[in-house]
Amino acid sequence: MHIPDGYLTPAVAGTTLLITLGTLLIASRKASLEKETLNEKIPLFTALSAGIFVAQMIAWPIPGGTSLHLVGGALAGILVGPWLGVLSMTLVLLIQCLIFHDGGLTAIGANILNMGIVGVLVGYTVFRVTQRIVKKVWLSSFLAGWLSITLAGLACGLELGASWNSTLPVYVMSSWHAVLGLVEGLITSGVVSYLTVKSPKTAWWS
Amino acid sequence: MLTRKTLITLATLLLLSPIFGVILAEELGYHEPLDIVAEELKLNESEFTWTPLKDYTVPGLPEWLGYIICGALGVLVIVFTGYVIKAALGRRKIEFSDS
Repeated sequence: MHIPDGYLTPAVAGTTLLITLGTLLIASRKASLEKETLNEKIPLFTALSAGIFVAQMIAWPIPGGTSLHLVGGALAGILVGPWLGVLSMTLVLLIQCLIFHDGGLTAIGANILNMGIVGVLVGYTVFRVTQRIVKKVWLSSFLAGWLSITLAGLACGLELGASWNSTLPVYVMSSWHAVLGLVEGLITSGVVSYLTVKSPKTAWWS
Repeated sequence: MLTRKTLITLATLLLLSPIFGVILAEELGYHEPLDIVAEELKLNESEFTWTPLKDYTVPGLPEWLGYIICGALGVLVIVFTGYVIKAALGRRKIEFSDS
């Protein structure tokens, strides 16, 4: 889902960059307000960011089709909260773009917006809301992972569609990611369920 | 910053990553949904590049080895950033307690 240079018009690239910068400013302020817990959360933030970076390198190719791998937005939001989650995904996406040219420089705003902001905030919100209703961690985290990727894909499709005045990107990106999101949901659910049992200190939700 | 268990898990995943990201990707071939959109709309990626490590490769090294080294480099940058944030927070704490 990493948009390269040349896929977005300057207007869309600029608008997404402005939205991203504004949200990152809010995320930094909100995260720094958690004075008591922030210092304790940094090791988890670091391990999570490193884990997501490595997990994104492990893409399982499907012959003649696409590849499956974790994106990690919902997982980040659930584990360290929405604002640190946004910053964790931003760190990963910046390293991927600046050091490894994975995603374009002109599309960095859009890529952070899709995977780092929409993915994290949707994942976190869905997890919190469904936890209150169904009270089943495995189901809440599955839905969080699935919807975070589906809506991140939709956001990406909307940006491409707005750039080229076409509905095709919206249809292709949202439908494919609704299917790929099932794997994101399974991995997110697996990790969150494992931590619920094995690491009660991390599992604030249990 | 990272526990021994986390480091071992990350190192294992890094060593396994070329099987998926390089070998199977070359053998099976695949495209992402974004590639489908690009093909349909005839979008072309800009040729401009700013890093010698493009697409997780290291010039002069086999792709699988470059992939592992790039992964390790990414993890190192993240851990370094973690230490910088931790140090900055520590300094802020001292400033708060001084005032």
